Amino acid sequence: MGNYYGLIIGMAVVTYFPRFLPMLLLSKKEISPSFSKWMSYIPVSIFASLVASDVFFWENDFNLYPAVNLKLIPTLLVLVVAMKTRSLLWSMLTGIVSMTVLWYVL
Amino acid sequence: MQKNTIMNGMKASLPIMVSYIALGIACGIVLFDAGFSLAAIFWMSLLIYAGAAQFLAASMVTLGASFPSIILMVFFLNLRHVLMSASLSSYVKDKSFGFIGLFSHLMSDESFGINYSRFRDGSWTADEALVTSVSNYSTWVISTVIGGAIGSQFPINTVIMNYALIAMFLCMMVQQFVSKAHLLAGVAAVIATVVLRLVLQHNIALVFATIIASFIGYFLESYTDINKKGSRTNG
Repeated sequence: MGNYYGLIIGMAVVTYFPRFLPMLLLSKKEISPSFSKWMSYIPVSIFASLVASDVFFWENDFNLYPAVNLKLIPTLLVLVVAMKTRSLLWSMLTGIVSMTVLWYVL
Repeated sequence: MQKNTIMNGMKASLPIMVSYIALGIACGIVLFDAGFSLAAIFWMSLLIYAGAAQFLAASMVTLGASFPSIILMVFFLNLRHVLMSASLSSYVKDKSFGFIGLFSHLMSDESFGINYSRFRDGSWTADEALVTSVSNYSTWVISTVIGGAIGSQFPINTVIMNYALIAMFLCMMVQQFVSKAHLLAGVAAVIATVVLRLVLQHNIALVFATIIASFIGYFLESYTDINKKGSRTNG
């Protein structure tokens, strides 16, 4: 329905330059240690933020009741599996299976 | 390019191809679910080629976020490539502008990981690295389109599919817990996101929470001894 090509081009530009310019112009030693230290905290913040903006909300309301907000229990299970295996596939499978069970049982 | 170069490059790519097929199909399904057409998925994988960023786009489009805020998040997410890209630069110094232009576009986290470790061992050429990267890249593009086609043919429960995405982000978050400060930055991001989302009632909360939490992590590492083992006993 929506026209996503503007989004795709914008994303492509901000993806390409951090990949291309350093390889062309820099070596590892030329990047300031504080900048790379700060950079190392961005992915964890983004993923935590994406998770938090979803799992604590059910039908757009903040909700911490596991019987209503069905995402809370699978989140705990996925966290345990992710900590143990660090595997994306196992985590996804755990999430899909536990969510399916809760969705069709409750 | 010699036959040997191509064989070596393809062989190095095999384990990554397997995981790209599975994740690519999943990515195609969630993108289709978020409203991207098959053609849009194809162009996205071809022009962007960044799994985490593509999953992020699917999630934020579903949340109803604006395009500029999605692009800003993708920019922050991709800053991690700056260091990887700079680390590879010394191995492609004698290569043409065109080679670097293409090779850098194909630098996913996985392609970087495999090529960088082989370059450091000294047994790897830039041409072999390019073959590995191209092979990973084509696998990703094809798999995401197949995922989109699967998503278009079968009715998929959106609540469950959306949750698969969250499970993926949970694991990506856990993979980033490389120190106590990184774990605390994650906790800070969770709190900041919930508070800001409730206060602002807008998805820009994600961007602000990310910036705040990354600085909290940075300051924890810089100005406390949280990441130093045994600092208490050593005084």
